Amino acid sequence: MSSISSHHDAKPKHDLKIALHAIVCHESKLRGDITIGAHTIVHPRATIIAEAGPIIIGESNIIEEQAHIINRLPPGADPSSQIVMEIGNGNVFEVDCLFESTKMGDQNVLEVKSHVGREVEIKSGCIIGAACKLTGKEVLPENTVVYGRNCARRIAMDKPPIQTLQIEFLTKTLVNYHHLKKPRSANS
Amino acid sequence: MELNDILYNKAEYVETASGNKVSRQTVLCGSQNIVLHGKVIVQSDAIIRGDLAHVRTGRYCIVSKRAVLRPSFKKFSKGVAFFPLAMGDHVFVGENSVVSAAMVGNYVYIGNNVVIGRRCILKDCCYIEDNTVLPPETVVPSFSRYAGSPGVCVGELPECTQELMVDLTKNYYQHFLPASQ
Amino acid sequence: MAYLVRNDIVQYACTCGQLRPISFLYFCRHCLKLRCGFCVCHEVESHYCSNCLEILPSAEARLKKNRCQACFDCPNCLNTLAVRGTTVSVRDPDDPGKVNSQKKYYHACFFCRWTTRDVGLPDQAVQTVSANGWAQKNTSNVQRITVLLEHAKLLGMLERHEREQREKKFTARFRRNFTHLPGLTAAHVRKRAGLPPELPAPSTIKVNLAEFQPAVAKETVPELPTDIFTKELDIGTVTTLTQRFAQPETQPDSIEGLLPSYKHLSTKQSQRCRECEHNVSKPELNPASIKFKIQQAAYFYVPEVRIVTLEPLIGGKPSEVVIVFINPSQHPTTLSFITLQEAEEEIKQHQTEGTTDTAVQQGEAPLSLSSLTKPVTVVEEPRPIDISMTGEVQLPAADVEIVLPPKDDAAEYDDSGEIQQFHDDPKIVIHRRANKASLRFTVVPKTDIAGENCVIGFAFRYTYVNRISTPAIATSEQKPQKVQLCTRIFMNCGKILEGTQ
Repeated sequence: MSSISSHHDAKPKHDLKIALHAIVCHESKLRGDITIGAHTIVHPRATIIAEAGPIIIGESNIIEEQAHIINRLPPGADPSSQIVMEIGNGNVFEVDCLFESTKMGDQNVLEVKSHVGREVEIKSGCIIGAACKLTGKEVLPENTVVYGRNCARRIAMDKPPIQTLQIEFLTKTLVNYHHLKKPRSANS
Repeated sequence: MELNDILYNKAEYVETASGNKVSRQTVLCGSQNIVLHGKVIVQSDAIIRGDLAHVRTGRYCIVSKRAVLRPSFKKFSKGVAFFPLAMGDHVFVGENSVVSAAMVGNYVYIGNNVVIGRRCILKDCCYIEDNTVLPPETVVPSFSRYAGSPGVCVGELPECTQELMVDLTKNYYQHFLPASQ
Repeated sequence: MAYLVRNDIVQYACTCGQLRPISFLYFCRHCLKLRCGFCVCHEVESHYCSNCLEILPSAEARLKKNRCQACFDCPNCLNTLAVRGTTVSVRDPDDPGKVNSQKKYYHACFFCRWTTRDVGLPDQAVQTVSANGWAQKNTSNVQRITVLLEHAKLLGMLERHEREQREKKFTARFRRNFTHLPGLTAAHVRKRAGLPPELPAPSTIKVNLAEFQPAVAKETVPELPTDIFTKELDIGTVTTLTQRFAQPETQPDSIEGLLPSYKHLSTKQSQRCRECEHNVSKPELNPASIKFKIQQAAYFYVPEVRIVTLEPLIGGKPSEVVIVFINPSQHPTTLSFITLQEAEEEIKQHQTEGTTDTAVQQGEAPLSLSSLTKPVTVVEEPRPIDISMTGEVQLPAADVEIVLPPKDDAAEYDDSGEIQQFHDDPKIVIHRRANKASLRFTVVPKTDIAGENCVIGFAFRYTYVNRISTPAIATSEQKPQKVQLCTRIFMNCGKILEGTQ
């Protein structure tokens, strides 16, 4: 869940690390210590805020416009503590979704207007359906599908397909239309 | 009720020769691929993703605040593409709605906070109530009223829907006026 | 906007006494009366699938149980299933060393991600046809159900027979009246008189009935599994009631038994006036078309009423309400206002006139075929309007006439700003624009009901130009006739506020 690293620095470092081959549009809003993995696409108007600690985003993720990924301090927590948010590979954050949890596995889909609260841990291959809100404390097992007005659940047979083709397409086209944030390695 | 005047800040909006009123606070990506066919209102913080594929709206369309028009992705046997988004005349898109349809017909009303899934087809004269979620590839037939999640048909529209929508959008355009200093 | 988003503000009283917004009313141009969905005959014009928009002839639709044969609903969330294609490699049967790739299709739900593979249904080789009969899997009861249906039909026939025997004494003479007319067979006569077709003889019905085998109660009931009370229930594998009701034939209790169900068909309907049997609305057959062959919505004929502005409503205090009247027709119309009581009297008077008219006609005309074919009109007594008024409205004097110019579609492009001269009382008419006029009314809400909605009611007369030449009018003159009609309006003006004193 939330791993608390030793607090050597009280303030989050304003440090953005973008791996090679990642596409981060300039119109996106990135605040705090964020690491973005290779082949990850960040659409314009996406918001990633690392308030409580660093956000580490893996490879081949798609973060669409108006998606919010926020690493928020829990109310009443020690502001000096560092909470790391880790997002795996091949996840899709669709338009207008809100992700506040601190741990996500691989190949998940957060559909349009979905909301994943802080205390929800997402394993791999899960789909949070459009307009579904998960705000309790729970761990979603692999391949869970949450759908509908009452957030009904079922376990799917397969994981949702990987969006490699879409990423390829976006990598080619977004360059033509948007200013990009320059890739910058963490070491350099 | 007769619509009251909706006043906007004159400095915020650009009015084109064909009568489109577009807020400066919008994100129109790939504007060369966006065609607004005249008398269209695009309000603040709306997003139109022309960079993904062509987006075409008809006359008298209203795109409300924070609405997103987004062409949808489709995998074919030979490669991938984004479907162009075609929208007819006299279409109203409510606030915070996300439209990823392949086609939106004429005289369509989309409420607030609606999710129109990928590659949906909305036929002429249909009504999507507030907070509806239409799953991808849904076909909404004419004269139907959809609501819920997943969106299902909950009723019918009157026969004069076409005239009501024309009246609504034209009235909206006429009442959408710059605030006088 | 009002009629699509909120349709409970201004309501019109239908001829039958229902209160509906104007968009849901029809205007019969032959009876010159308002009709609502409850006082017209609904007729199915065409059956179509709301997903693939394919039209099915009604006979075929009945045969297919009103379901589309190409589209399916997800048994899990009842959303429409989509077809997905995959390529699978199949070993060539002739040449074992060769591997062929083959296109296969399966159905998937994009909402809950249920697929036909979840329940072990094989992929299909063809995209559209589901001829491999998933949905016909459980047809063990079909035969019994047809037998039962047949039996119920026979019982119905027998009952009808008995009833007709009983009534024969009274109707025999009447029926003989037109059997002597030339060229009419017995079947024809039955049809014209509105009777159902001749029944088979009761003896044959009884013979058929005797063949029926009633159901036999069984002693042996399948036993419950032994672990039913001991095994822990996994709620994820049990179907919900909604899912079971969607499959009445099988009603599976485990999600493994869920099968896609054929999608229900939708219909396009036409509406017919019950009194004169003319269509008031007839859509085009094609489901993709939004055009109408006949469209007599009240919205195109009756002046529309909308509230423009409201002063705060305080119990007992007069407040000003601005109401706009819009003329939708191609002819100018003259409005004048009357109270509800006056309007009701007027309507009653009309009705009595109408009945005497028909009585005279029947007396004069000899009993001919045309009068036979003419159906008996069902004139229902309009029900009283069930709405309590919580405010008084002060109307302009009855002799004040407001002229509304006709609707002009080209006016929008006309910048000349030509101002027509109307001799209006500026105290009443505060604004005019094209075919609209904004009028000032005064509303006095009742006292001591603060917090409730202020409902007011009034009526207005308007002139309508009748362009239909009915035979009666045609004989006198061909010119369009001007008729004065009356409509009652009920308005919900919003909450009444607490008095300040």
